[in-house]
Amino acid sequence: MAAGPYNYSYIFKYIIIGDMGVGKSCLLHQFTEKKFMADCPHTIGVEFGTRIIEVSGQKIKLQIWDTAGQERFRAVTRSYYRGAAGALMVYDITRRSTYNHLSSWLTDARNLTNPNTVIFLIGNKSDLEAQRDVTYEEAKQFADENGLMFLECSAKTGENVEEAFLDTARKIYQNIQDGSLDLNAAESGVQHKPSAPRNAINTDQPANKEGCAC
Amino acid sequence: MATIQEQTADTSSPSSQPNNPLSRKLNKILDTRLDNDKEMLEALKALSSFFSENTLRNRRNLRGDVERRSLAINEDFIQAFQQVKEQLDSVYEDVKGMSECCQDMTTRLKAAKEQTHDLINQTTQLQTESQRLQMRAQVADAFLAKFQLKPEEVKILRGTRDGALHPDFFKALARVKQIHTDCKVLLRTNQQTAGLEIMESMALHQESAYERLYRWTQNECRALSNESPDISSQLCLGLEALQDRPVLFRYSLDEFGTARRTAIVRGFIDALTRGGPGGTPRPIELHSHDPLRYVGDMLAWLHQATASEKEHLQTLLKKCNNCSNEGTIQDILGHITEGVCRPFKVRVEQVVVAEPGPVLLYKLTNLLKFYEHTIGQLLSKDASLLGTLDEAHVLSSKMFFNSLNIHAARLLDKVELPPAELGPTGPLNQTLQLLKDVLSSHDSSVVSIDDRQKDFSKIMSSVIDPLIQMCSLSASKLTTVDMATYMINCLYTMQSALALFEYTDQRLEMLQAQIDAHIDTLISEQASHILHRVGLASTYGIVQQHQPKQGPLSSIPGMEPGTLKGAIAKFDSFLSTPDGYILQQCSLLQSTTVRETTRKRSMELIVSAYEELYTAITNPQNGYKDPQNLMPRTPEQVKHLLI
Ligand SMILES: Nc1nc2c(ncn2[C@@H]2O[C@H](COP(=O)(O)OP(=O)(O)OP(=O)(O)O)[C@@H](O)[C@H]2O)c(=O)[nH]1
Ligand SMILES: [Mg+2]
Repeated sequence: MAAGPYNYSYIFKYIIIGDMGVGKSCLLHQFTEKKFMADCPHTIGVEFGTRIIEVSGQKIKLQIWDTAGQERFRAVTRSYYRGAAGALMVYDITRRSTYNHLSSWLTDARNLTNPNTVIFLIGNKSDLEAQRDVTYEEAKQFADENGLMFLECSAKTGENVEEAFLDTARKIYQNIQDGSLDLNAAESGVQHKPSAPRNAINTDQPANKEGCAC
Repeated sequence: MATIQEQTADTSSPSSQPNNPLSRKLNKILDTRLDNDKEMLEALKALSSFFSENTLRNRRNLRGDVERRSLAINEDFIQAFQQVKEQLDSVYEDVKGMSECCQDMTTRLKAAKEQTHDLINQTTQLQTESQRLQMRAQVADAFLAKFQLKPEEVKILRGTRDGALHPDFFKALARVKQIHTDCKVLLRTNQQTAGLEIMESMALHQESAYERLYRWTQNECRALSNESPDISSQLCLGLEALQDRPVLFRYSLDEFGTARRTAIVRGFIDALTRGGPGGTPRPIELHSHDPLRYVGDMLAWLHQATASEKEHLQTLLKKCNNCSNEGTIQDILGHITEGVCRPFKVRVEQVVVAEPGPVLLYKLTNLLKFYEHTIGQLLSKDASLLGTLDEAHVLSSKMFFNSLNIHAARLLDKVELPPAELGPTGPLNQTLQLLKDVLSSHDSSVVSIDDRQKDFSKIMSSVIDPLIQMCSLSASKLTTVDMATYMINCLYTMQSALALFEYTDQRLEMLQAQIDAHIDTLISEQASHILHRVGLASTYGIVQQHQPKQGPLSSIPGMEPGTLKGAIAKFDSFLSTPDGYILQQCSLLQSTTVRETTRKRSMELIVSAYEELYTAITNPQNGYKDPQNLMPRTPEQVKHLLI
């Protein structure tokens, strides 16, 4: 009666943002299915994926909302920033325009999420080195100046994809550990499962009703 | 002894030595070797003990003595033997006793032996019996192990007072179930009574266990009312087990649904009124002045909550492999999301009823439609939340068309007179601007192309048809030329507004047809205006109606060469400055294309009229003497000049 795959201690909510065609849906798909979707249709509104990961021995469920990059959906997707614990902000290293738009994405992210939301910058399509239009150094500097975490990834080869999602989770977890993220606050983007380590079978558990978390 | 020997010797001698007994005797004596004859020696020795003096008397008495002695000895002997005999007798007695004893023992042994035989038989029998019984005991044990619960299992099933479940509860429950099933095998054998009894007792155990499990599950579910429910694997097992009791299973799920329903209502209200930590993100209601954002945020929240709740349900039911699982999940999910319907509906209605204007209403309608579709992918069609979304969308859409219709009705209510320049009126321009705003908001809309097309035609008829009516009404008091000009200007304005958008082809065509009709009117007005000005109008009329039986044209009044000559001269001056003859209204046509077309086509009309006149005049039958002089220009020349 081991803790099943559904038993996790936290749920972290993520949102993926960035211009259309930068590969947001592909990144999500690569992360959840470990496959590359070569001809992925444009996202309509938002899509949704989940995966359970482990951070410091804790099982964490990631609930990931992939938003449409098309301008006409902007009003819709903005509503999904609310309550995100992590925001993955994606640009395409082969298209400078997608990089140039980052500051507007960042403004949205900062305004619409809570102050503790971990924002992770992803330069996608790192497999297309020959068509590179934005250098690593430039983006790295942008990330540093804005206090963002940063990696270049490829949804195609899977390079660094896992790392980006996991590093974000680690950072969120660390925020919880050092108390800077208040779980009790609504819309922290993190949901805590009170009886976290439940794998040990205690024979006469007094059915302890978890104190109301709110 | 010696005596006996002597006697024996005496008696035997006469027979052995018949010839001379004495000599034989002598010989014998002589032959006797006393040294070696021990008996003789013994006899002599004994003799010497009492034959002390060799006297006659003694010799004579010897015999008697010896016989006396022998008698004494024999008497001694008898005496001695008497003793021996007596002792032997007693030994005999003893031996006889012993023999009897032995005999007795033998008999007894024999009897005992006979008795023992039975015993052994019995023992063997008992041993066999015992083995058989042991076997049966083993079978019985095995039977009990298979068909009875262990005491600790019973205890586990019965549980503790606080209602907590033992971790092995489900194992025990599974065993009860197994036993119950196995009993059916028993019923097929000749152990029916046992089978029935056990079945009955297992059924009792089962019932009470399910009852307990249900109460426990109910409590667990009831507790899952905080934002993120902790669904334990034990609870999943509980629901798996309860599948055997559909009613209890359903009740437990209902309990879960109710708890979750409460939780998301609370979460929704919190998001609306409290927002995130430190107010970021801000409470949704803070944006209530911005209807699109306000409603959009609520909808996004509902979408995410629905997705999460669906996941929770899937987690809860992951072990339940019932085929109707998806249906069950949908059912419960519908129940869970039902609670937020009211708070959502109330707020959306507030926004919609506040009449934020057609453009916003239209955007709202599209937003609601979009979410109805998006959330519809998570819920089944009959879910209340979808119903509410649909109602909201329908209401918003109704309000939108309502506001368009009100606008249109207002247009028709107080129709303005056309301005002097016969251009579109203020209300027309404003309405078209509104239409443009609505239609262009569609560019940024999120609904499918099909829907968009349907909407467009409806919007068009709500706006364009009343507009045309309005124009017709306001044109009704004008002269024909003014009316045509004004209508052309108005229709053209509408056409250019619509031409910017998709799916307007039909409307454009309809407008074009109306424009064309008015252009035709204008052209004929223009042409007849020119003919009147040059004084050819009546002439042309006569020519057109002339029949050969009326005689030659030249004989008809008004067709005299003199009259004609004057008119043709005026026509010539028209040919030199045709623009001076254009109707003032035609220059008010706002579209240069229309203006050009009108001009060109009215000139064509003039040319064809001239041609008809020319043909008639130059026809010899009409009796004109010098037609070339009368009409110096050929129709080709005229055409060349005018067109
Ligand atoms: N070579 C390469 N192509 C990629 C990579 N990631 C995505 N693509 C391609 O880029 C295109 C767009 O990817 P999507 O994931 O649909 O982009 P998106 O950001 O979700 O776009 P929207 O949904 O419109 O916002 C697809 O044709 C992918 O095949 C990558 O890492 N390498
Ligand atoms: Mg996408």
